[in-house]
Amino acid sequence: MAQKQAAKKTDKSMALPSKRSPAGKTAKSRSVLPQALWRKIGANYLLTNDSGHYAWLKEKDFALVTAGKMTERDPLFGELAAKGFVRNRLDFNDLASKWKKKNSYLYYGPSLHILVLTLRCNHKCLYCQSAAGGAGAKHTDMTAEIARKSVDLAFNSPNPAITIEFQGGEPLLNWEVLKSAAAYARKKAKITGKELQLALVSNFSLMNAEKAEFLLRHEVSICTSLDGPRALHDKNRVCASGSSYADTVKWIKYFQARHEKQVPEYRVFKPSALLTVSRYSLRSHKEIVDEYVRLGLEDIFIRPLAPIGYAKRLWDTIGYDAKDFAAFYFKSLDYILKLNKRGVVIKEKMAAMMLDKIVNFRDPGYLDARCPCGAAIGQLAYNYNGDIYTCDEGRMVGWEGDDLFRIGNVFKDGYKKLMTCPTTKVCVVSSNLEAQPACARCAYKPYCGVCPVYNYETQGSLWGNMPANDRCGLFKGIFDALFTLLRDPGKAAILKKWVAK
Amino acid sequence: MKTNEGSKKLVLDAGIYSGEAVKLAAFVFSDKADIRIVPRGKVLEVSISAEDAGRASGGSEGQNSSSIMPLLGAEFMNEVLNQQCRIDLAKKNSKIAGIIVTKALLSAAGEK
Amino acid sequence: MKKQANKTISIRVSLKDRNLDAVRYAAYAVSDAAYVFVRSAGKGAVTVEFTPKNGSPAKDLSRRFQEELADEKIRAAIFDSNRDLREFMILKALAYEETPAAAKSDDSGLTPEQESELDALIAQVESEIKKESTGGKTKDPLGITRTWEEKYGAKTSRKKN
Repeated sequence: MAQKQAAKKTDKSMALPSKRSPAGKTAKSRSVLPQALWRKIGANYLLTNDSGHYAWLKEKDFALVTAGKMTERDPLFGELAAKGFVRNRLDFNDLASKWKKKNSYLYYGPSLHILVLTLRCNHKCLYCQSAAGGAGAKHTDMTAEIARKSVDLAFNSPNPAITIEFQGGEPLLNWEVLKSAAAYARKKAKITGKELQLALVSNFSLMNAEKAEFLLRHEVSICTSLDGPRALHDKNRVCASGSSYADTVKWIKYFQARHEKQVPEYRVFKPSALLTVSRYSLRSHKEIVDEYVRLGLEDIFIRPLAPIGYAKRLWDTIGYDAKDFAAFYFKSLDYILKLNKRGVVIKEKMAAMMLDKIVNFRDPGYLDARCPCGAAIGQLAYNYNGDIYTCDEGRMVGWEGDDLFRIGNVFKDGYKKLMTCPTTKVCVVSSNLEAQPACARCAYKPYCGVCPVYNYETQGSLWGNMPANDRCGLFKGIFDALFTLLRDPGKAAILKKWVAK
Repeated sequence: MKTNEGSKKLVLDAGIYSGEAVKLAAFVFSDKADIRIVPRGKVLEVSISAEDAGRASGGSEGQNSSSIMPLLGAEFMNEVLNQQCRIDLAKKNSKIAGIIVTKALLSAAGEK
Repeated sequence: MKKQANKTISIRVSLKDRNLDAVRYAAYAVSDAAYVFVRSAGKGAVTVEFTPKNGSPAKDLSRRFQEELADEKIRAAIFDSNRDLREFMILKALAYEETPAAAKSDDSGLTPEQESELDALIAQVESEIKKESTGGKTKDPLGITRTWEEKYGAKTSRKKN
């Protein structure tokens, strides 16, 4: 009787018990579905909930569950109850804990601070989103003073751990400022006690031993772009000197060798590489993955192109739709898993980040897929001239003449003003999946996110229109691939190993 | 009037498409077309006119407006539906949506 | 304009057992593949018109719309019955604090030196009580003057309140 009353209490009262409340004694009692989302994939239904649990149901089971007709006798009952899909069996503490862990970014300020040291670049990549200008445009170099002020602002973030990432153009073209900013940031980290990571994104064309040594001594993690074998890489990443590929490979190997020979004075991180998928990449998934494996890279980050910056202008030539990317992504991931089965160490970074949420209920720190998105509250982009933007994509829109995403300037605006300005607020509000009609109903909502900048650039409003939004289609394709692969026990074991801690 | 200027009139049931949704959609389309909304009892009369109808609907500049304006009108109606669904959702979800936004902004600003 | 009435499909939907929100959303969900227009169809009904975009098959649109309508009905029922619960759960999640794992050993909150000092003090007091009570040959039928250890043997640790 007391147990039945406890079960009833969960239906109506706000004063809900904090522990598991057992179901009624009778085996025939029905279990009403708490809030859940679903997606039909093939002949089956994928069920998810706010905490990030998921379950697969056949059509007849889905009908039973959604009608509240599943009983304790049903073989699926135990699994569904354990995962928070049975209303009178909810473990509130467990579900709360998982929700909080997965959304832990809600408790902190911006972690990523991008310093755009210069707009100068000696490459002309087809898809450039950084508004790169010619190598002679020195007026687009960030001054040491602006770099210092940017670092100061970054340290105002309430986040106990921040990353300062040097980008461009080609940041090595503004080497002296990079050096002074890195040294200054390390000093500040010592004084404030804040955990600091430094990162560099470079095409390596201007790297030399002296620069490499400085970067390593200051524990700057190194990242470059690698779009595949030489011909494909050079086709996407047009370089004034002829071939971008040679320098990229040379310095990847250099930093790998340095990583192998760790020294006690400082940590050397493994170099990483990013893949940007253009239309030219779509038929070469094996060749691209093989290139990464050949170079000993253990991570490949398969990033879709966004129609922002140069890419927008050349979209007819290098762009593709969500379906094309989804097919490429699935084939690539499947191939990577085959390699893993053969003992090759290579994992896909996008998958790993999503799997961290799906399998571990953990926030992977991926600013592009969270609710609300990381615009301003998760990251800031400091332009060469001291202007501050919600993100690098927002800075791109500014370069195109529309300063909607500009939220301040290092000389005029303090940290709090950046976080409370109307643009920041509207980016947060418009990227809240709870307020998006399609996202609020989508099975992938616990793991996904929207981009107000993408929406604005492609659909004319920060909110966008999800049914016709290609970025939404891209992410659905990625999630469809992951959840489908997770159904295969052998593949699931490999995928889960990627995120095992 | 330019030769490729176009206009399109739509009559919407105000019980199905709220004035707010139509206004929001009009704002989204404001760089593509001039949109006028006139409430007339139980309907809303919407006039859409574009200086360059071809470019406004994503086609090429100078495209014949007589074939493009209906497309622009149709795209506008999809946007109205988008905004209407947002308004419908807000009626149900605004509390939860507000909780998350508030938490995110307060934390970023360094408040608890 | 070239009339494409032969491509536009119209579906009449009764609002008797579903509300307008649901119909609007179901129509919206299909708007990736069609231009959608909803008009009144008399009392208690609406007509939803779909004009396919880019050659999308009309049959598909109708099927997708009907499936979304059915899904919306389920969603509305689930949402209505869980609204308060969901708000509670999100607030609880936001306020959630991980409790530290329970201490494996009893923790009195005292340092080892303080513990032994206290033990010595207690032993001293017990011994004084004993001397006072047994020195005068007083009988103790209820065992009041016997210490806990004398009565029960094992020394218990002091638990933290």
